[in-house]
Amino acid sequence: MRKPEFVYVTYIETTPAKLWEALTSSAFTRRYWWNTEVKSDWKVGSPFALVTNGTPTDVGEVLEFDPPRRLSYTFHHLLNEAAKKERPSRVTFVLEPAGKLVKLTLTHEDFAEDSVVLGGISSGWPAILSSLKSLLESGTALEIPPPCGGIQ
Amino acid sequence: MNKPEFVYTTYIETSAEKLWRALTDGDFTERYWFGHRVASAWEIGSPYKFSKQGNNTIEGKVLAFEPHKRLAYTWDPCAPNAHGERTSRVTFDLEPRGNVIKLTVTHDNLDEGGKTFRDISGGWPMVIASLKSLLETGKPLPVETKPNAAPEQRRA
Repeated sequence: MRKPEFVYVTYIETTPAKLWEALTSSAFTRRYWWNTEVKSDWKVGSPFALVTNGTPTDVGEVLEFDPPRRLSYTFHHLLNEAAKKERPSRVTFVLEPAGKLVKLTLTHEDFAEDSVVLGGISSGWPAILSSLKSLLESGTALEIPPPCGGIQ
Repeated sequence: MNKPEFVYTTYIETSAEKLWRALTDGDFTERYWFGHRVASAWEIGSPYKFSKQGNNTIEGKVLAFEPHKRLAYTWDPCAPNAHGERTSRVTFDLEPRGNVIKLTVTHDNLDEGGKTFRDISGGWPMVIASLKSLLETGKPLPVETKPNAAPEQRRA
């Protein structure tokens, strides 16, 4: 039986450096991620947090920081009570140049059994990464109504 | 054991009408689907095909045609090494979300470990990314054609 994981691939007409900034700069993430700021000093082992409108929603620890190629952090959701009890999962972004594009692969894995976080992030990431692609290509992020449930 | 299926969701700033046209109009698909033109009478049960430079690449029949909401067809790659695999199925669901459209592509009824499953898993993210770019910016993704990479089925 395969372990559950969520993998999402997209192609963005941008540079690895810009995409890297979009993933790690809170001024940037606020624009496409439902006003969410990503907070960290981005040293391996340092704390990491997602803060939406002043409220921390997810916290973790930086596992890999290899600009502009690989970014990885643990992910522990705080708002939903059931999700809060789960052990942290793991998020990894891999950026690969592909001609004039960048191939972005997000892998979210290492979930608890019957994880409620997995359900939440499975609807959250496609919306976030769609908005990110729009922002980098057209200059305007998407206005997608946030999902219910509070996970992302 | 779950049967393998591939589900891909994206959000596009467009109207359901434009997205529907992009999925069903050969002139449109040719622009973002790396040269592949779709053609069909678009009636339930009628045949459809994708072709590139006159060569058929995918064929099947129309299973669902609810304009601006749901499109489904069977999927038979014309590649010789995909013969023998079962006929799979592709479903497009369009749902308005505020001023954007949520597009979900579900490709199911696939053979476990088959060539088609591998090809479409790599192909859909590229096709849908290019479709989104075309509808939002007016330009498809500038994907370089690799002459020796046999990319046709992979991208289909």
